[in-house]
Amino acid sequence: MAEDLVLDTAIRDWVLIPLSVVMVLIGILRYFVSKLMLSSQVPDPKIVKEGQVIVRARNLRAAANFIPPKSFRSRRVYFSNEENGLLFVPKGQAQNPQAQMFSDPNMAMDMMKKNLSMIIPQTLTFAWVNFFFSGFVAAKIPFPLTQRFRSMLQNGIDLSSVDVSYVSSRSWYFLNLFGLRGLFSLILGEENATDDTQRMMQMSGFGFDPSKSLGAEKDGLDILQHEWALPKFEHRAEAMLKKLIR
Amino acid sequence: MVSKTEETQLNSLENQVDNGGGGAWEYLCLVRKLKVRRSDKVFKYGLSILNDPKKRSALGPEEWTLYEQVAIAALDCQCLDVTKDCIKVLQKKFPESKRVGRLNGMLLEAKGSWAEAEKAYSSLLEDNSLDQVIHKRRVAMAKAQGNISEAIELLNKYLEIFMADHDAWRELADIYVSLQMYKQAAFCYEELILSQPTVPLYHLAYADVLYTLGGLENLQTAKKYYASTIDLTGGKNTRAPFGICLCTSAIAQVSKGRNREDKESPELQSLAATALEKDYKQRAADKLGLLTSALRSMKF
Repeated sequence: MAEDLVLDTAIRDWVLIPLSVVMVLIGILRYFVSKLMLSSQVPDPKIVKEGQVIVRARNLRAAANFIPPKSFRSRRVYFSNEENGLLFVPKGQAQNPQAQMFSDPNMAMDMMKKNLSMIIPQTLTFAWVNFFFSGFVAAKIPFPLTQRFRSMLQNGIDLSSVDVSYVSSRSWYFLNLFGLRGLFSLILGEENATDDTQRMMQMSGFGFDPSKSLGAEKDGLDILQHEWALPKFEHRAEAMLKKLIR
Repeated sequence: MVSKTEETQLNSLENQVDNGGGGAWEYLCLVRKLKVRRSDKVFKYGLSILNDPKKRSALGPEEWTLYEQVAIAALDCQCLDVTKDCIKVLQKKFPESKRVGRLNGMLLEAKGSWAEAEKAYSSLLEDNSLDQVIHKRRVAMAKAQGNISEAIELLNKYLEIFMADHDAWRELADIYVSLQMYKQAAFCYEELILSQPTVPLYHLAYADVLYTLGGLENLQTAKKYYASTIDLTGGKNTRAPFGICLCTSAIAQVSKGRNREDKESPELQSLAATALEKDYKQRAADKLGLLTSALRSMKF
C-alpha cells in the first residue's frame, strides 16, 4: 500500500496557503479586538495583599540564614501563628474558588469575554474548514504514523486503504492552530490574545487559588531549619583580608 | 539598584551628550529605565528636544512619555511654568488620565499647596485604592511637611498591603534611623536583607544600627555583619574594617569583667587594621598618621 499518491498542486494553492493566510488574519483581528475590549480591571485588595504576603514569605524562606535566629523565629511566628498569622487559613474559610469566581460579577464577565474571544473564531473557522475543505487528501506528513491516527487525521477521507500519512485539511487546520503561536509572538510581540493553548491550560486549573498557596508557604516555613550563615562569613572575611594584605 | 555596567553606560552617554555628541534621546531613555534622578540634565536636553518641532515629531508616540519625564524634571528644578505647559499639553491629549492627574498633584505639591494636593491624591485613590505611586507620594508629602509621624503611619499602612516593596522598607528604615528608633530600623533592615541578601549596603547599614544599639549580643552580631560586608564587597569597602575594629574594642570593653573569649576570629581585628592601613597608604597617605593613632587607641 506504499504507493505514492501524487497530489494536485492546486490543492496547495487553493487549500493549504489560503487556510494559513486566513488563520493569520483572524489572529491579528482577534488581537486588535481584544485590545479594544480591554477593560481596566480594578485589582482586588485582598488578592494583592495575599500575593505580596506570599512573596515576602518566600523571601523569608530563601534568605532565612542571613538574619539572626531570634528575628527569624519572631517572623516565623508572625506568619504561621495559629490565631492571626498571615499565612494561616482556617479550614472552614478556604473558599471554593469556583464559587467565588461566579459570585463576583466582574470576574465572571472577564472570563466570559476571554473565553468567547477564543471560542467563537475557533468554532467558525473549524466549521468553515469542514464545510469547504473536506473529502479530499490535503497533504502528506513526512514521517510514517500508526493506524491509530487514522480517525483523527483522515476524517473526511472514507477510503481505509490510504496511507495514514495522507491527511485531510482538518489536520492542517489543527497544525496551524498550534503552530502559528510562534509567528504571532514574532509579529505581535509578546502578550497577545491568540495564546490559546496557554489559555486552555489555564482553564483546567480554575483561577487563582490563594488559600492553597498560602498553606503551602506556611508548611514550607514550618519545616525550615534556621542555620545562621553569618559566623561562616567571619572566617571568610578573615581569609579575604589575609589575601588582600599579602 | 543600578548595576556597574549600567552605571558606566549611563556615565559615558552623559559625557557624550554633555560634550555635544548627540544621543540625547538614548540618554533620556536610559535615565527613565534606570529611574535615576538626573533632573537638571533631563530638563535641559528634554526641553531642547521638545522645543524643536522636527525632533518632536520624530519621536512619534514616545513624545508623551518625554513630556511626562520633562514635567517631573522641571518640578525638581523648580521651573513650574514649564511643568504647567507640559501638563496642559498632556491633558489636552489624554483627558481623564490618572497619570496626568498624578502630575497635577505633584505640581500642587511643588507649589506648596499641601491641602489641595492631598485632595487631588485622595480623589485619585478613590478610583483605584491600590495605586502604589500615589500612596508613596502621600508619604513623601507628609515627610516634606515635616510631619514625620504621619509619614511613618502612612508608610506602615502602605507596607501592610504591599509588604514586598523593598524601596518602601528602605525609606522606612531611613526615617526610623533619623528618629533614633533603632530597634524598628533594625527590623526594616532585616526585611531588606531577606529580600536582597547579596547587597552589601544593607548588611553594612544593619551592622551600623546594631552597633549603635549596643549590648554584647548586638555588638557580636554587628561584627558578623561587618565581616559579611567585607566578604560581599571583596574587601573594597572602607567602613566595614573600621566597623570591625570598633566592634572588637567595644566587645572587649563590655566583657572586661567576664571571661568570655571571642574564639571565633581572634585575628580579625588585626587583619582589618592592617588592611585599613594598606588602603590608606594607597589612597590617602597624608591621613595615615591619623589612622594609626586612632587604631592604636582602640587596641588596649
